[in-house]
Amino acid sequence: MAVITCSTPTKPLRAVPAGGLLPLIAPSIVLALFFAIPMGMMIGISFQSQSAGGLTFASYSRFFGNDLVLAGLVRTVIMSGLVAVCVTVLAYPLAYYLARATSRWRTVIFALAIAPELAGVVLRTYGWLIILEDRGFINSALMWTGLISEPLPLSKNLFGVVVGLTHVILPFGVLSLLTSLQSINPNLERSAQILGASRLAVIRHIILPLSVPGIVSSLLIGFTMAASAYATPALLGGAGFKVMATMVYEQVLFYLDWPFAAVMANVLLVLMLAAGFVGSRLESRLHQKLHI
Amino acid sequence: MTTIDIELLSVSKQFGSSHIVDDISLAIPKGKFVSILGPSGCGKTTTLNMIAGFEAPSSGLIRIRGRDQTGVPPEARKIGLVFQNYALFPHMTVAQNVGFGLRMQGRRREDIAEGVSRALKSVHLEGFEDRYPKALSGGQQQRVAVARAIAPSPSVLLLDEPLSNLDLKLRETMRVELKEIQEDLGMTFVYVTHDQEEAMAMSDRIIVMQGGVVAQEGSPADIYGRPRTSFVADFIGKSNILPISAVAEPDRSLRVYVGAAKVAMKAVAVNNLAPENARFCCIRPEAVRLADAAGALDEPVNRMTGTVQKVVNLGAYLEAWMLIDGDIILKSMIRSTRIDKLTAGCRVELAVAHSAVQLLEQ
Amino acid sequence: MNRLLTYLFRVALAAILAFITLPLVVVFAASFSPTSAVTLLPSEWTLKWYAALWDRRWLDPFLLSVELAVIVSLASGLLGVLGAYSVAYAKCPGHTAIMAFLLSPMSVPQIVKGVAIVLLLSSAGLYDLLGTPGLVMAHVILTLPYVVRMAATAMFGFDKRLDRAARILGASVAQRIRYVLLPLIRAGLFSGMTFAFIISFNNIPLSVFLVRPGQTTLPITVINHLEYSLDPVLAAVNVASLIFILGAIVLFEKIGGFSAQIHGGSK
Repeated sequence: MAVITCSTPTKPLRAVPAGGLLPLIAPSIVLALFFAIPMGMMIGISFQSQSAGGLTFASYSRFFGNDLVLAGLVRTVIMSGLVAVCVTVLAYPLAYYLARATSRWRTVIFALAIAPELAGVVLRTYGWLIILEDRGFINSALMWTGLISEPLPLSKNLFGVVVGLTHVILPFGVLSLLTSLQSINPNLERSAQILGASRLAVIRHIILPLSVPGIVSSLLIGFTMAASAYATPALLGGAGFKVMATMVYEQVLFYLDWPFAAVMANVLLVLMLAAGFVGSRLESRLHQKLHI
Repeated sequence: MTTIDIELLSVSKQFGSSHIVDDISLAIPKGKFVSILGPSGCGKTTTLNMIAGFEAPSSGLIRIRGRDQTGVPPEARKIGLVFQNYALFPHMTVAQNVGFGLRMQGRRREDIAEGVSRALKSVHLEGFEDRYPKALSGGQQQRVAVARAIAPSPSVLLLDEPLSNLDLKLRETMRVELKEIQEDLGMTFVYVTHDQEEAMAMSDRIIVMQGGVVAQEGSPADIYGRPRTSFVADFIGKSNILPISAVAEPDRSLRVYVGAAKVAMKAVAVNNLAPENARFCCIRPEAVRLADAAGALDEPVNRMTGTVQKVVNLGAYLEAWMLIDGDIILKSMIRSTRIDKLTAGCRVELAVAHSAVQLLEQ
Repeated sequence: MNRLLTYLFRVALAAILAFITLPLVVVFAASFSPTSAVTLLPSEWTLKWYAALWDRRWLDPFLLSVELAVIVSLASGLLGVLGAYSVAYAKCPGHTAIMAFLLSPMSVPQIVKGVAIVLLLSSAGLYDLLGTPGLVMAHVILTLPYVVRMAATAMFGFDKRLDRAARILGASVAQRIRYVLLPLIRAGLFSGMTFAFIISFNNIPLSVFLVRPGQTTLPITVINHLEYSLDPVLAAVNVASLIFILGAIVLFEKIGGFSAQIHGGSK
């Protein structure tokens, strides 16, 4: 037999075909054209002014010098904070039930908790308008019983907006708490009970501390979704209730003041990113602390 | 002369600085059942993956049916592969799974249907065509995996520990069936396993691998009866492996001194091993007999006296530990009918045939 | 004590569920109420508001919203599969960074994305793209990350041994994608696309910047009316579009089978 010659070493065959980057071309172009470039332009525009050329902070100083606008920013933060707390408080019992229940009611209640999300914001806001307005469901009922003579101010104010937004965002709060609560081993509760803890003590010492990451993510999602919501504050807040989202909209479509609109959008974006950053830092801290 | 189906010529595989497979050369003859046997990490799976084409050798050459396979992707090698976890397509029925290879060849619908029913027939799984893998038991999934691999009639079938997920009973049935399938089809089977019993039961040839190299290659009888190294002797079957020094006698027989007490025994050399290179000897437990039962043997034996240390009842056999000259321990397999003779502490006369004391290289 | 707690917990649950369902029930009741004064149990029932829906005032926005949702779910489905393939299946170099890029629109509020797109179109003088083309662009950016994430999750869960099995049986790259990968990620992909459909159909914060007279989506048409009156016909519009969404989900489920259990999976 002939002398055996070794073949030259070959590159290892990949388990999956090469050219993995090729399919990325289409989504990358779409994202660049309709997202990255517009975002870059918007940031650029915020440093322009309507009258003069060149780079300027004029629009930013106008933003931070305008009391009405700053009041809108503060209102946005307060509203979002309230919504975050309401969402988390209401979502917690629901999520706990869903995490632990095994009965057939679980499916029904899960569907009830999540399904409103399909209905869209308009339907639910419309529902709340019917319920909360001056001649609405609650006020007519209360006036009919004679408990009040004047309608209570339930809509066109902060209260109405917080109720509406809490309703809109609640399913997201339930889902993020559910993930966290489901990861708690039910045997921890059982062993605490065997050791003599009451239901209340179990919740206080076992469930609450272990679900803190879920609480943080629920607060975070509540805050960010509320701060960027448009339709609910516009409809339930009425003309006098201005938040960042509605103000941005007015700047773009009525005043056509693009640099100022861009500044507002950027401030909103920074607010979101800051909240997200703080939230995720807090979450990873807690994860470390709890050794999860 | 038999034709060679798969040939590995000085094949090596390195990942970084570690040699997974180190310069191995193999020739797998057509139509034979060949097992690659070794403990985990010995390089057997990497060898299989290189034959299948999922990994390329760092150096060396692989030929299948005489053709160099360098650069040939798995899909073009026309070989079958049965995976350890079966890897059945969960979204396809049994028939669609089995027909997949034929479909990829662009065969006509009737041909595919015929190939599917032939393959299912050879694994005794007719009537399961429309089931989904999830609805099958482990053994049935195993059969589907085999049927899927043989349906396109590859000349070579690679099997990667295919029985390891089955329970013991089923594994023993499947051994027999796999061997029958292989004989019926006349296909070359390359069977990777860490289970020496499995390899012994089915193979025409066994390749024992250790640390990326071939430790020994031969028929099951060769490997069991004439192990070359203490690794092979220990890995395949049970054995007493004892340190020795060996001397060639003038009459060309061998005398060995076993252990620290230098118990003298006569031995035979196997595999052309020079006595000065021998470091150990191997005595299979079944070769250690009670002297009164060894009378029937028509070959010369070493006689010795041992003290029974302990006895483990294995059903048909007893495993008895014999202490010889207060130093070496010989494990022996003795029929359970002799249980009355074997109680701990009693002395027994033993006989070990000269040919049963085999020298090992290392 | 424990019994009292259990009781209180149940009452709280019931109250929360009532809070969740109340607005939906109210809208549903209002849509059958003959007067615009809303009561939970109207003395008479009528279908006249539903009859009033058969009008170009509502049909045109509805058709636009449907068209938009279909285009958006198809486009983001296609782009999402391509992106997920590179990231989760081929695991191309730098795939974590690429994934972050593909998901990046998620971290920007919708209203900001809307401003960015409308500013781009305005400063580039592309006013003609307002209306349907602009809406498609904006909605695809909104939904793409969700589809990428769901498709990528499905692909991460894909058993690579199945790919090897198909390969050794002679399947080419294209055949392996067509016959093995796509059928197995179909459920994940379709749930992503269904999600995209619903998000697009119900969207307000992006659409509000991009609609133009004659090309207005249904939710925007409804809020434009809501700012002036609580016309009960709006209740009917809302209920009808909710029913449409539910129907669409059922249809998607029929095609995609995402809730059905996939048969098995090798162990």
